[in-house]
Amino acid sequence: MKADPSGVLTGTHNLSGNQACAEGALSAGCRFLGVYPIAPALEVSERFLQRAKKASATFIQMEDEISALAAVIGASWTGKKSMTVTSGPGLSLMMEHLGLGIMLETPCVIVDVQRVGPGLGLPSQPSQADMMQARWGSHGDYELIALAPSSSQEMFDFTIKAFNFSERFRIPVAIMSDQYLAHLQEDVVIPHAEDIRLEPRRYFDGPKDSYLPFKRDEDMIPPMVDIGQGYKFHVTGLTHDDRGYPIMDEECQELNVHPLVKKIRDYTDEIIEVQEANTEDADVVIVSYGATSRAAFKAMEQARGLGLKVGSLKLVTVWPFPEERVAELADKVKAFVVPEMNLGQVVLEVERCSYGKANVFFIAHGEKGVENTDDILRAINQAVQVDNIKDGIIKFR
Amino acid sequence: MITTFAKGLEKAGVKPNQVCVPSDILFEPAIVKHFGFDYFHTTRGRAIAFGTGLKLANPALKVVPFTGDLMTVGGNHFVHGSRRNMELTVICINNFVYRKIAGKAVSIETPKFSPYSTFEEPFNIPHLGNSCGAIYTARWTALHTEELADSIAEALNKKGLSIIEILAPGPDYYTSISNVNADLVRFYYDNSEIRNDEDPRNVGITPENKIIVGKFTSKERSTFIDSYNAQLGNVLGEKFTPYGIESGKKGAGGKNG
Repeated sequence: MKADPSGVLTGTHNLSGNQACAEGALSAGCRFLGVYPIAPALEVSERFLQRAKKASATFIQMEDEISALAAVIGASWTGKKSMTVTSGPGLSLMMEHLGLGIMLETPCVIVDVQRVGPGLGLPSQPSQADMMQARWGSHGDYELIALAPSSSQEMFDFTIKAFNFSERFRIPVAIMSDQYLAHLQEDVVIPHAEDIRLEPRRYFDGPKDSYLPFKRDEDMIPPMVDIGQGYKFHVTGLTHDDRGYPIMDEECQELNVHPLVKKIRDYTDEIIEVQEANTEDADVVIVSYGATSRAAFKAMEQARGLGLKVGSLKLVTVWPFPEERVAELADKVKAFVVPEMNLGQVVLEVERCSYGKANVFFIAHGEKGVENTDDILRAINQAVQVDNIKDGIIKFR
Repeated sequence: MITTFAKGLEKAGVKPNQVCVPSDILFEPAIVKHFGFDYFHTTRGRAIAFGTGLKLANPALKVVPFTGDLMTVGGNHFVHGSRRNMELTVICINNFVYRKIAGKAVSIETPKFSPYSTFEEPFNIPHLGNSCGAIYTARWTALHTEELADSIAEALNKKGLSIIEILAPGPDYYTSISNVNADLVRFYYDNSEIRNDEDPRNVGITPENKIIVGKFTSKERSTFIDSYNAQLGNVLGEKFTPYGIESGKKGAGGKNG
């Protein structure tokens, strides 16, 4: 399926990450934005609103982030691709409806422009400290997809990718941006509408009376319908059967919830994307994602210049986590260096997937600026000097 | 109650397949199927927020949020919903005693009906809705079936947010747990007094006085979508095509829009 040209601003434009995100959404066919304003995510809405008229998109400022995501889930069921944008404090409020979105298997996109927490934290500073909340913040068992862009261009590209995943897997998809990317001005190349590939919503095409909202196709994804078309459907956030009727027993819990997890875990090959550089001969691999990977890549080049065998593994999809690739690399390398703008989150996954076969050095990155490489280089130097794995895991804070 | 709702739809000339019910109350699926509307069982108290998205994204729909935790969890959604005046027919089931977990007091509970009593003042829902901008307010007990159906029909054809409070024990769970309910619903009915057009300030429910029911207010006010179109039209001039006017086309969804 190709993009609707009314939402695509073809050409090269100098855009902030936030603006690029709005352009990506409109290009992907997003026609509904439900938000509650919060710094540093404001410009996504601003840009979306400025351009909404041309694309016949609509928007609403709700009373809080709880209702913003509720409205987005509702809007999605009318057949409109829908999105919300927030930052840490708003993401916290969204956790209730993130769970509902997963349970109702509703395609939608949540953009989290991370700022420093906890609490109100530092609204004007970047952070990557919502990574675990996005993954585990809502109650119950679930999987979701989270993408981490690292430039304005990727904000545009990954927003389209997020909408595609959300339609493909009927799932809320998170875009984990941050304040640094939000306000970084860079050139973004927006292709022609016919060159943008979009995942169409999978619609049910049987007789109206036979529609079952959670009856899965062979690939585990149930087709959808738009509401108000006479399908008489019943959906509930309670544990439900194929009909969307609540069934309060363990058997149904398994039939309902296991596929929510399985539909992602069984398709990790299709979902997970990493970008690797110089990993073939590396002794040390820097694992990074989002804005931090800009410094990680630079540090890798600087280290190579010094004759050190350093590679880079950049996570495009942080969730689901590329377990297998990290485990493979752990067999080959001496150490991983993991810079994050937090006090240690995704590093826990790297540690888990190294199975004690490689040292893991964590860096709370960003003190001297997001693009500064000093701390990463320091950790690399340390990593190459350690020959044996002592106590399994070494942290460098 | 659902039968009364269906009667209201019929009186309003609204086809069930135009209707979408976001709700925090679980409806019996077979009933939903029978009456033919689309139904979302959503999070506690937040049906208005959900319905706001449904209505804005597809203005052709008739959205009827059925709520139970409206004044507790959903208080702010109700206040803002009334202010915003999105076209929603909000039906609040006020069941006073939350017997599923004995002794738990919902905030709209009145002292008389709670096993251990409560010392808190209940909300006066029609008054709150009216003062926040809701364009239609009414209250009936579940046994005022004719009046209730009339109110639902009237509200469905109003442009803006209507609030209809229904005094009723939770219909499904209750009957299976105890038989108090038939008595209780009769008790509400017997202790009520119809006062149409009463100033909503005077209709607070107290343990001492009769329960005042009736159609209290009905007014006109610009809806959210009207205001949205007026404002964007003002700013953008002729470049702006009003949103959701050709209902079902401009506003409708991907497959059919």
